[in-house]
Amino acid sequence: MAAAACGGSDSTTTGSSAGASSAPAAAKIKVGLAYDIGGRGDGSFNDAAAAGLDKAVSELGVDKKELEATQGETDAQKEERLRLLATGGYNPVVAVGFAYSASVAKVAKEFPDTKFAIVDDDAATGANITNLLFAEEQGSFLVGVAAALKSTKGNIGFVGGVDVPLIHKFEAGYEAGAKAVKPDIKIQTKYLSQPPDFSGFGDPAKGKTAAQGMYDAGADVVYQAAGGSGGGVFEAAKAAGAMAIGVDSDQAALPAYDKVKDVIITSMLKKVDVAVFDFLKNYSAGTVKGGPTRYDLKAGGVDYSTTGGKIDDIKSKIDDYKQKIISGEITVPST
Amino acid sequence: MSSFLDRVFGRVKLGGWLAVAAPLIAVVFAVLITSAVLLAAGKAPVEAFTTLADYGTQPRTMALILNTSIGYYISALAVAIGFRMNLFNIGVDGQYRLAAVVAAGLGGAAVLPGVLNIILVVVCAMVVGALWAAIAGVLKVRRGVSEVISTIMLNAIATGIGSWLVSNYFGVLTGNDLGTRPIPDDAHVPGIPLIAGTSQLVNGFLVLAVVLGIAYWVVLNRTRFGFDLRATGKSESAAVASGISVKKMVVATMIMSGAVAGLSGMPELLGQSYKYSNNFPTGLGFTGIAIALLGRNNPVGMAIGALLWGFLDSSSDALQLLDISKEIVSIMQGVIVLSVIVAYELVHRYRVVAEQRRVSRQLAAPSEPEGAAA
Amino acid sequence: MKILYGMQRPDEGEIRINGSAAGFHTPADAIAAGIGMVHQHFMLADNLTVLENVVLGSEPRRGGIALDFAAARSRIKEISDAYGLGIQPDVAVEDLGVGDRQRVEILKVLYRGARILILDEPTAVLVPHEVDELFDNLRGLVSQGLTILFISHKLDEVLRVADAITVIRRGTTVATVDPKEVTARRLAELMVGSELPSPETRESTVTDVVALSVRDLTVRTPDGRAVVDGVSFDIHKGEVLGIAGVEGNGQAELVEAIMGMRPCTVASMTLDGTDIASWSTLRRRADGIGYIPEDRHRHGLLLESPLWENRILGHQTRRPNIKGIWIDRAGARADTRRIVEEYDVRTPGIDVDAAALSGGNQQKLIVGREMSGDPVLLIASHPTRGVDVGAQAAIWDHLRTARAAGLAVLLISADLDELIGLSDSLKVILRGRIVADVDPANVTPEQLGSAMTGAGEGA
Repeated sequence: MAAAACGGSDSTTTGSSAGASSAPAAAKIKVGLAYDIGGRGDGSFNDAAAAGLDKAVSELGVDKKELEATQGETDAQKEERLRLLATGGYNPVVAVGFAYSASVAKVAKEFPDTKFAIVDDDAATGANITNLLFAEEQGSFLVGVAAALKSTKGNIGFVGGVDVPLIHKFEAGYEAGAKAVKPDIKIQTKYLSQPPDFSGFGDPAKGKTAAQGMYDAGADVVYQAAGGSGGGVFEAAKAAGAMAIGVDSDQAALPAYDKVKDVIITSMLKKVDVAVFDFLKNYSAGTVKGGPTRYDLKAGGVDYSTTGGKIDDIKSKIDDYKQKIISGEITVPST
Repeated sequence: MSSFLDRVFGRVKLGGWLAVAAPLIAVVFAVLITSAVLLAAGKAPVEAFTTLADYGTQPRTMALILNTSIGYYISALAVAIGFRMNLFNIGVDGQYRLAAVVAAGLGGAAVLPGVLNIILVVVCAMVVGALWAAIAGVLKVRRGVSEVISTIMLNAIATGIGSWLVSNYFGVLTGNDLGTRPIPDDAHVPGIPLIAGTSQLVNGFLVLAVVLGIAYWVVLNRTRFGFDLRATGKSESAAVASGISVKKMVVATMIMSGAVAGLSGMPELLGQSYKYSNNFPTGLGFTGIAIALLGRNNPVGMAIGALLWGFLDSSSDALQLLDISKEIVSIMQGVIVLSVIVAYELVHRYRVVAEQRRVSRQLAAPSEPEGAAA
Repeated sequence: MKILYGMQRPDEGEIRINGSAAGFHTPADAIAAGIGMVHQHFMLADNLTVLENVVLGSEPRRGGIALDFAAARSRIKEISDAYGLGIQPDVAVEDLGVGDRQRVEILKVLYRGARILILDEPTAVLVPHEVDELFDNLRGLVSQGLTILFISHKLDEVLRVADAITVIRRGTTVATVDPKEVTARRLAELMVGSELPSPETRESTVTDVVALSVRDLTVRTPDGRAVVDGVSFDIHKGEVLGIAGVEGNGQAELVEAIMGMRPCTVASMTLDGTDIASWSTLRRRADGIGYIPEDRHRHGLLLESPLWENRILGHQTRRPNIKGIWIDRAGARADTRRIVEEYDVRTPGIDVDAAALSGGNQQKLIVGREMSGDPVLLIASHPTRGVDVGAQAAIWDHLRTARAAGLAVLLISADLDELIGLSDSLKVILRGRIVADVDPANVTPEQLGSAMTGAGEGA
């Protein structure tokens, strides 16, 4: 395959962007996927990417190779991971998470014939880089509406994993949605850790403590955007006999959360799996485009789940808001 | 007699071939344990190790290992300065991160041009690291707070302050990543084309790391300050009786350790990422502790330890390509540290007995019994 | 003693208990054989009650798990009454006085079924009337058929309480005597091993230049108790001032206060006429105080460092060890060789660790080090403790020579003969106070001993 020799860097010849993927038809496609910290099995974000990849393996018949990140590593180590995949003949290469931003930008230049995709980042640009972006605030708006409608106390909570801009989008949308329903609603907010400490995405105990505090302080619905820490939020909800809202995947349907599924009234769906699968499908069809692809409500990239039937009574109201957002009548703030 | 801890933290030295024997035994032992784990997981150890060796000897990888090791080494030096006098500076992690935030903020503001900016950033990092560490030193001296506790707390506080500074003062949003304003190009520390066969440059801070290693050795072994420091580490009571002001030494040592800790984030900041963002590497301080233990606070030993660590860290991807879980690397690192401690203890006991025998043999007289108290 | 209690194993020989041989590997074996040890330093947990301390480690069980405190309490009362110890089981140990604590220790070993008691320097921490009480208790125990091994270096006490005396010197039995037929002087000679030094043959080298002058020195513990209480003295050049006292009466604190290692209040403290009260330890040392510490392993040496580095310790401001901020390795090593030579330190070289030397050679190294750099004053705390005979004589010689050369020496020792033999004047310290001045020329160890315990009239 087309691996440039290591060291053939700085060549900026990029070839034509669209439809120029060198030889997808001839050999079997080898997909390289680099996870963020947590990797496959985090029950959240990385798992969603993995689901998209698995779907591509079974439906498109691609080969896969997955590499995981280590806590606290440097950009150089991330670059090297991508480089290893690219030199190993893996094309396309998918990087999961904005942490790969700088690394993708750099390595994509070194391997102009390899297609790269990066999830959640629009800073890395290049003809062979596809940015898979999501309108998290729009999906969060809808679960905010659900929270406000379901809350009897007029008091709801938001637990963010790590205090980073990406999670701020979840918070902003959620708040806007809740206020759209009840302008005077009380919203408690808590982030589990401060960057560069990313433990807030993988510490259920912290999530539990934070949510407990919110329920004790009068909240009856808590929305978590906290990756692996979310399980703790659900446990706290169960203990308090209150409600919780999941994130990324349809968490009420996940076997991992089987014991707490009855407190999960809905989940904000961020369909990383769809985005990854679409990208791989386009690649195999030779129609990959560089640049950003935005997955919003309109494109079905974000949504809310109804598993468990806990919000069937208010579904029509939520769908009203959904239509308004799609039509542009409501613009959801992202900060 | 030295305590077990004295030996663990390398305040007791071993001479000659024994100093080499212990780490060798440890590495061999670690390889054996890792092989057992690999076999249990149904993987072929030989394949794994040949892949590692293969990967580690490519020129490009060697350059990368070297780059990773530079930060590790400086961090290990910072830890070792404390260890040599019985101070457990667990706070290297917080010190380098806080230093890096402030220095990156200052560097990004580009108040001075070019090389002057580099110097400003480096000095600023040293000062911030030193001040942050000094807090723990002063608390220990004034209030008797164990530096272990205070530095752990200060780590958490440093994370908070760093994050607050970035989000409120220095922060620039790039995509989803919040970081300081990048340091301008004229203040980047250039790489060195040290390793033939690859275009991957070696971080220019390699020079600083080598200089620091030499300075560490000279200060500790050739100056009065170093003597006082080592004496305090070996026996605080004897140091007090000899007139060393242990309190002053505690504060001075914490300041030195913190200043070096502040430097350990610089290779990444000025030679790689040029900004402090959510992506800035964490945990360097804890890696430093492991390497200081591994290298027994010896400047050469720690250099080898840092290279070994850098090699293992960068090899995790190569192993994953063989479908071997990256956690095997952590297992190997843990086993190496543990085996080094055990091996040194064994070798130490052997040496004590051997030396006492040698002395009594050379004196060619029956060893005189120490008069027992009445 | 440690061997008897199973803490150390003998190289040869055997132990017989009631006629049958016994070998101990651990203290547990010794306890099982009916041997109990009362340590000089109490091994009690302050915040537990007497009852809890006594049962600690041999808790009575009921049904395998539950602690049977009732049974333990009644047994303690029983033992206490039987031997007249007068102990209340439910008092917290921290509320007890020293004498009571010692009785708790005794009760502890009796509780474990000991028939042979080893008492290691039991009177060192007691005041005279407590000593009397202890002796009454001991006689009570003996009358009940128990055996007591009483280890002490206080001759009068041994003579008072013992039924048979065995004198041990440097690990060998010197003699076994009957207390009714032996005098204190004869006992002292047996302990020292030779004719006692005869001070009167020495020429006095005392000058009238004061080297160290101390007025009203007081050291308090953190809780405000005075451990050194208003001590004043002068030491002249060429004079050896001995401080006699039972250990733990403030000598260590006095020395540390003079060295600047311990905070104290003092009306004036001058060295060679200069006020040194506010100086740091380092400055005091640099300006001419040499220091032979009581515990050479803790305060005198870096055991795991080579001899030449130990030469620098305490002298790290001065030539030949230091040039500016640098260590002068060549200078320090050369001077270490000189010390090894002049003071006859038996070592294969100056690069071996201090730990590898015998106690006597370690001490000779320290003496040599502290004598270098022409000190004005030498503080010698137990300078010959735990050293062999040859080294002891050598150290004494060095002290005498230096004294003749005009050195002032403050000598602290538990060895009464050493004190009497070396000192030009003697002061007795008791509970932190100087209680008597004694002329070493006409005092016997017995008189000095009784002055030290506050019993006698103080010569």
